[in-house]
Amino acid sequence: MPALKRIAATRIVAQPQVLDSADVPQSSLALRFAADELFVTPPLQDETIITAHDPHAILIREGGFAGIWLPAEEAALFLARNCEWEIPNGRPAFAQGAVASIPTKLWLEDEQVLFIVPAPYAHDFAERMQD
Amino acid sequence: MNEFQEKLVNFKWVEPKKTYDVIIIGGGGHGLATAYYLATRHNITNVAVLERNYIGGGNSGRNTTVIRSNYGIPEAVRFYQRSVELYQTLEDETERWIMHAQKGILWMAHGETAVRAEKARAEINTAFGAKTVFVTPKEIKEICPEVDLTGGGVWPIMGGSYHPEAATARHDRVNWALAEGAMKRGVHVHQNTAVTNLIKSGNRVIGVETTAGPMHANVVMSAVGGHVTGLAALAGLRLPIRTHPLQAFVTNHYEQKFHPIVASTSLLTYVSQTARGEMLIGAEIDRQPSYSYRSGHHFLQTCAHRAMTMLPFLRQLRILRQWTGVCDMSPDYSPIMGFTGVDGFVLTTGWGTWGFKAIPAGGEQMAQLIATGETPELIAPFALDRFAQDRTMADRGSAGTH
Amino acid sequence: MRLIVDGRPISYEPGDSLLIALLRADIQPTGGGCLCLGGDCANCLATVDGVSYVRTCQTAAKPGTVVQLHHTQKYPPLPQEDEARPAVPARNLFSDVVIIGAGEAGRTAAREAEAAGKSINLLDATYGEEAIGIYPGPLVVVRTPHETLHVHAQDEIIVATGAAEILPIVPGSELAGLLTRRAAEKLAQAGLDLGRVVAIGTPPAAVDCQLAAGELLRFEGENGRLHTVITQTEAGQENRYACDTAVLNLGLHPRNALLRMGHNLPVRAVGDAALESDIPACPNEGVVCPCEGVSVADLETIWEQGFHEMELVKRATLAGTGTCQGSTCLPYLRSFLLKKGKTLQPSFTARPVTRQLTVGEVSAGTHHHATARTALDAEHRRLGAQMERSGGWWRPWSYGDPDGEYWAVREAVSLMDVSTLGKMIVSGPDALEFLERLYPTKVSTIKDGRSRYVLLLNERGYVFDDGLICKESDTRYSLTFTSGGVSHAEMWLRDWAASWQMDVHILHQTMSLGAINVTGPLTKQLLAKAGLANPPGWLAHTKAEVAGVPCHIFRLSFTGELSFELHHPAEDSVKLWRALLEWGQEFGIRPHGLHTLLRLRLEKGHIIVGQDTDFDSTPRRIHHDWAVKLEKPAFIGRHAVERTNKIPLDKLLVGLEMADGPAPMEGAVIWHDGQFAGHITSSAWSPVLHKAVMLGWLHYFDGHLPETVTIDGRSARRVPVPFYDKEAARARA
Ligand SMILES: Cc1cc2nc3c(=O)[nH]c(=O)nc-3n(C[C@H](O)[C@H](O)[C@H](O)COP(=O)(O)OP(=O)(O)OC[C@H]3O[C@@H](n4cnc5c(N)ncnc54)[C@H](O)[C@@H]3O)c2cc1C
Ligand code: FES
Repeated sequence: MPALKRIAATRIVAQPQVLDSADVPQSSLALRFAADELFVTPPLQDETIITAHDPHAILIREGGFAGIWLPAEEAALFLARNCEWEIPNGRPAFAQGAVASIPTKLWLEDEQVLFIVPAPYAHDFAERMQD
Repeated sequence: MNEFQEKLVNFKWVEPKKTYDVIIIGGGGHGLATAYYLATRHNITNVAVLERNYIGGGNSGRNTTVIRSNYGIPEAVRFYQRSVELYQTLEDETERWIMHAQKGILWMAHGETAVRAEKARAEINTAFGAKTVFVTPKEIKEICPEVDLTGGGVWPIMGGSYHPEAATARHDRVNWALAEGAMKRGVHVHQNTAVTNLIKSGNRVIGVETTAGPMHANVVMSAVGGHVTGLAALAGLRLPIRTHPLQAFVTNHYEQKFHPIVASTSLLTYVSQTARGEMLIGAEIDRQPSYSYRSGHHFLQTCAHRAMTMLPFLRQLRILRQWTGVCDMSPDYSPIMGFTGVDGFVLTTGWGTWGFKAIPAGGEQMAQLIATGETPELIAPFALDRFAQDRTMADRGSAGTH
Repeated sequence: MRLIVDGRPISYEPGDSLLIALLRADIQPTGGGCLCLGGDCANCLATVDGVSYVRTCQTAAKPGTVVQLHHTQKYPPLPQEDEARPAVPARNLFSDVVIIGAGEAGRTAAREAEAAGKSINLLDATYGEEAIGIYPGPLVVVRTPHETLHVHAQDEIIVATGAAEILPIVPGSELAGLLTRRAAEKLAQAGLDLGRVVAIGTPPAAVDCQLAAGELLRFEGENGRLHTVITQTEAGQENRYACDTAVLNLGLHPRNALLRMGHNLPVRAVGDAALESDIPACPNEGVVCPCEGVSVADLETIWEQGFHEMELVKRATLAGTGTCQGSTCLPYLRSFLLKKGKTLQPSFTARPVTRQLTVGEVSAGTHHHATARTALDAEHRRLGAQMERSGGWWRPWSYGDPDGEYWAVREAVSLMDVSTLGKMIVSGPDALEFLERLYPTKVSTIKDGRSRYVLLLNERGYVFDDGLICKESDTRYSLTFTSGGVSHAEMWLRDWAASWQMDVHILHQTMSLGAINVTGPLTKQLLAKAGLANPPGWLAHTKAEVAGVPCHIFRLSFTGELSFELHHPAEDSVKLWRALLEWGQEFGIRPHGLHTLLRLRLEKGHIIVGQDTDFDSTPRRIHHDWAVKLEKPAFIGRHAVERTNKIPLDKLLVGLEMADGPAPMEGAVIWHDGQFAGHITSSAWSPVLHKAVMLGWLHYFDGHLPETVTIDGRSARRVPVPFYDKEAARARA
């Protein structure tokens, strides 16, 4: 079965404008789950880039998501079979919604796509990838 | 001619009058049954049933016709059991073929908690006059050899309840037998006659405005399944009702072989075979409230998948048609019957996804209420003011389906 | 290249449809009836590779295809099948415009759309793509032999499905040898010998035929085969035309079912699909609906019986409900009703599916509800746990020895995976105000570092969830909810925060945090060994490392024993679990499952929302009035609670114990003096008390709650809860 791995990250809930202008390190992947929610992997070293601007922001060490990279072509076929909504055209792109009936986040690059699902569903998701 | 063609029912359509003793809005099963029992049990025949389209065109002609009394609270078990019994004799009484067929319903449990729920169902049913027993997987296989006890390897069956008196009947024929029975005795049924407003005098409803002109009556009853909130608002009532679509589908005709009705609360689907050999499959309501009669693909796709999990032979059957009704859902999954606090205006509603089985008892009891001016004991628990009085009838045995 | 037809091989030519192959072998699949070769009639059905009701004219012949001629007289048998998976995969396609039908009108529409810069998907049944329905989305679902297509349209759907030819229904229409005009042209093109041909109406192109004069009256034949067409002239004279094949051109009716089911969606028809239907004269005799065997005489009878609406006529005769969905009979039904009632009634409602597909095909692309697994799922399975779905999760029900698990908690130390517990954080300047409005407790009196058990009420004043509020600071709280209730609770919180415009952040962290409950009298010893020297006091919480894992530690107890709940990053669950199990060995540790937990908490009288509560459980009915502070000016459910508190109580959730004997089942009915008095919600044998203990709903009788009742035919009595350790000395040890 394809192995989804837990992703070490920081999940942040903060003011949208603070997230808009957050100075997240270039090398990390930052996915905007919602206007007030940001997912950063690897975990943020310096949380003050957020807390300095929003003292009420919530930052947690986040290991509750699991992910897998697929080559773009394989990803496209899997999505054609299992995704009822249209994937954005541009690259890179972030998208989220149900894939194979499981809430999924997609990070789409030219050559590969990262699938992220809540870790408790990783087992079922992997099974569905195998089908 | 096929063997199922209606041969006996004869309708006599007449012109409307200006006044009646009783006006019933809605020519679904409940409206027609109330008229039928007013005429046959109370000799009240100066009655009109007003139907905006054709009789039985609402949910009473769209449902999956499961008749059962294996509910979860004593009040409901007693009431539905009365209906189950009235159905058993309705054919003889009306001398019309309603295609009543006793089939038995199997309700599958796929886990420890579900096993507990089905055992509890059997217990409460037995205590109040409905025959339900808990059955083991082996017994399930004997009653229904087609069942896959592994549940497709995903939803293994650990037991279930069996309610042998569960039956089905042909919905249209029930509506017609009741309509004709009422009309024969002088009741008027007017099709293509929509009620557009209620005529009030103070806090009393004294008649209705219709597309065929105004009509007056001593008592006006609403039996407008699926549309009651709008109608009740005309009487100044706010009801705790939300309207949700409910869908079902049938396959083509196959040899008559599949006997019971099979249901599962975890999979939220139920399956039976009609007299004509179609496999008839239903599910739970659409989550989103709506008045839409449009059929959905998501429903068809997921319901087909879940039904196939219990009964793999469905996989190769070709689907013929899907359809939708709109259901007035009460918050406690129990019906609302009786007086409303507005004089001269009574209602029967909240029939949600479960009201077909209730047509005879609902009609009988509402007729008695109208005839005597008093709420019969059997339906007293289902009065509208139970919500204000903190006496709701929460019924988990209803399952929100069939 | 051969097919197997009812066990007999027949050969066919490249490009043949199954029907043409069958006709070459002189087999008419259903024995007779006018063939249309357009996928409309029901006269070419067969069982193909196990699937019945397949239109052989729309199916390509392939080597080894197994055809069974089930449809000649009776309904096909129910098939055998063991697999419960979708029969084919799904494929999603997206474009601006979807065009159904690649005939002339469809191709024109496609060119226009492309010229306007639109992306298109052009589908056609002759390429094996049968559109079965139009749904909101807008979405067209399409059956192909290998996939079920979900074709999504951004702008519009164009129905270019053309028109079907009206079929004959006069007596003799069931004979073999009848063809529509288009069918005749297709068969001639395929090189079939049609014999002597008589044409009624416009003759087919490139087919030699004799033209019949007059109005079609009937067909005559022998052994199911046509030999004569009989027409009538205006003067009433009968003409007889001997022939092998009759070709009929009786008019068209649009294939507009897709259009009609798509009303109010961006769907339009072009070409013949947009036509008004021809209304053929309804003959005085004949079978109007061959699918359901309804004759003109039957329609007459039904009309006399008072069935006049199209829908009622359909329901009373079943005409139109057969496998062709009215394709043959609808024009005649309308014609009949027009003649009788003088108005042209509309076609009956169009419902999916228009072309058919199997249950296995339509379920393509769907999956069962996923059941969540905690980070410890594999650990439980490795330990041999029986797993149970509960609240959307897989949870260990028992590890095979419920009694052993029970005594480990009561006498030693035990673990339970409670990661499924709902968890959220609320943070912000309005956090306190927000929680005060949500919860019936006085949140302001919770001190830093403390937690409190709380109820959640809906507007009706009924309990729908419970959990803890744990104060971290004046502006930050962690909250817990039931495993099954947290999704609903999250929406509840977010909706209210938005409605009240509260300045708060909400983070749902159920899946981010694992949680292990360490419980039993030896818990402190174990935790000390794992590095926790100063565990928090009763109802306090603190952050500290246990076995090298950063934990948020809550002191509370659901089992009745000394308990600490260790919330920790989910990725560390396995490490923490294994370390605790290993270090706990010397204390006799073993994990326990739900089964044991349910029993332990019952001995303590702790309720489970959803099991012991019902839709109508006010705090008062479940003895939780203490959790509601009516002196607070505003919280959800306050008005309702205040109002219902004035109504006399009708029933109460109470503790009960059996005089003797085993525990009754959960759900058992409670009787009092032969009357219904309620039912049991939780029931278990208590090993430590040596008796059966229960929670249940007990009704009042004339304002009094019975003291003794009958359950299972045995005597039981009402007792205060908790049943065990009333002073909670063990939990607070
Ligand atoms: C798909 C589906 C499956 C179901 N399966 C089952 C089942 O298996 N078992 C079961 O017991 N129940 C089932 N039900 C529920 C059952 O069908 C209904 O509860 C029951 O038919 C309600 O009957 P009724 O007479 O109250 O309403 P309806 O039959 O809906 O009749 C109401 C009538 O009122 C008319 N009307 C509305 N407004 C006006 C107006 N202003 N003026 C005049 N007339 C008006 C409507 O046209 C309609 O004909 C199912 C429902 C659906 C949709
Ligand atoms: S002819 Fe097929 S349904 Fe009437």
